[in-house]
Amino acid sequence: MATAAARIHEVEDDVLAAIDYCYEQGWTDGLPVVPPDVKRVDEMLMYEGRPAETVIATHPATGLECTVHAIAVNAVMAGCKPEFLPVVVAAFEAMNEAAFNFHGSTASTGGSAPLLVVSGPMIDDIGMNADVNLFGPGNRANATIGRAVRLVLLNVFQMVPGISDKSTQGHPGKFSFCIAERARGNPWPLLVEDQDYPPGVSSVTVFAGGGFCNVENHGGNTPEQVLGSIADAMANYGCITLGQSVVVLSPEHARVISATGWSKRQVQKYLFSHAARTVDGMKSVGKYRQGEYDKQHDDGGTSPLVEAGKMHRGLSPDDILVIMGGGDAGGHSCFIPSWSRGRGSIMQSKPIGVCIDCD
Amino acid sequence: MQLYDPTVAGPERNFSRAPALASLEGKTIGILQNGKLNAVNMLQETAQLFEQRHGCTIVPIFSKSNASAPAPGETIQAAATDVDFLITGLGD
Repeated sequence: MATAAARIHEVEDDVLAAIDYCYEQGWTDGLPVVPPDVKRVDEMLMYEGRPAETVIATHPATGLECTVHAIAVNAVMAGCKPEFLPVVVAAFEAMNEAAFNFHGSTASTGGSAPLLVVSGPMIDDIGMNADVNLFGPGNRANATIGRAVRLVLLNVFQMVPGISDKSTQGHPGKFSFCIAERARGNPWPLLVEDQDYPPGVSSVTVFAGGGFCNVENHGGNTPEQVLGSIADAMANYGCITLGQSVVVLSPEHARVISATGWSKRQVQKYLFSHAARTVDGMKSVGKYRQGEYDKQHDDGGTSPLVEAGKMHRGLSPDDILVIMGGGDAGGHSCFIPSWSRGRGSIMQSKPIGVCIDCD
Repeated sequence: MQLYDPTVAGPERNFSRAPALASLEGKTIGILQNGKLNAVNMLQETAQLFEQRHGCTIVPIFSKSNASAPAPGETIQAAATDVDFLITGLGD
């Protein structure tokens, strides 16, 4: 089914030639794409209940509109299976929330990429990886869903490197940045449960993330030791801002922390209170800003955990998303900072493939 | 083989330059600051040059809450009503 706006290119009936054609049109992220064959796209569209011309996201500066159809075309090019489509659609519904500011976070020198965190039963339904090599290669769903997001940003929203994407350095997540939350062995409620979605629903959370920061701690045997090393990474001078954070605890670290009865909320509070730098320290590297300090410390401030004379990362423990993911072995967790200097983008979530409280 | 085009056509827009002012003398000048660290300082100094050299009047600053998001429509509308010309810049 072609939409009124869909344009079709007739190309030689040869897959390799079609791949080259996609390169020639400037439709790729630098890697080869699956040619967006009409039949393949139309099959994918069967996984979305709304009409193909439904607008999912709109670019606030250019007015470019992203339809279900356009997402399906780019998802095919990324290598997605049809059943992955609802995740990509939900991701753009989340990114379309004004507070996410997908134009700014994509165009900025800060060079962030939308990190997708999928939580809930859909992970197993579509074969996502929440386990070993979580952020790495090897799983089709993780790799191609994340890639589809980038291809939509490139092809639909024209966020072209060097022209409208001015990332100073970017990071590898700009090819694909999509993970699943691990349910197996997870000692705490899943993210989708924390988000209060109904049972059986899965969610995708989008976060304008900077580069990945590995936190190695093989010797810590208490929550304070493990979380102390993570808080230190969160407060490094290169990353500390008032922005939000994503912390992905390895199963080994989660076991150490939860064995003593700590809740996820306690983890958030500990990280917030310890991911901090002194005002003098911030001044020593030229990153202190009175306005930011005031925002965190003024009367009516957002958290009683804020300590005078210190700059904490974020405004409150709520600004730290904590999930578990990765393989069983290894004291390797990670921290992912928010885009650039703070709160220009706030993470958003949407249910996948369902409409809750919709008109 | 038939391939769908993965790009979309943008909305048709009629962009045109505002007519140039015949003179700057005595005009009302607006400042749109983007919230970045030195934006207000830089723009105010620039506006003061217009004030000194051309007798312009500076109206209260218009502000964006987010440097990387477009200015809200109501901000632009208010500026268009209140000023003869507007200056803006990054100030980073």
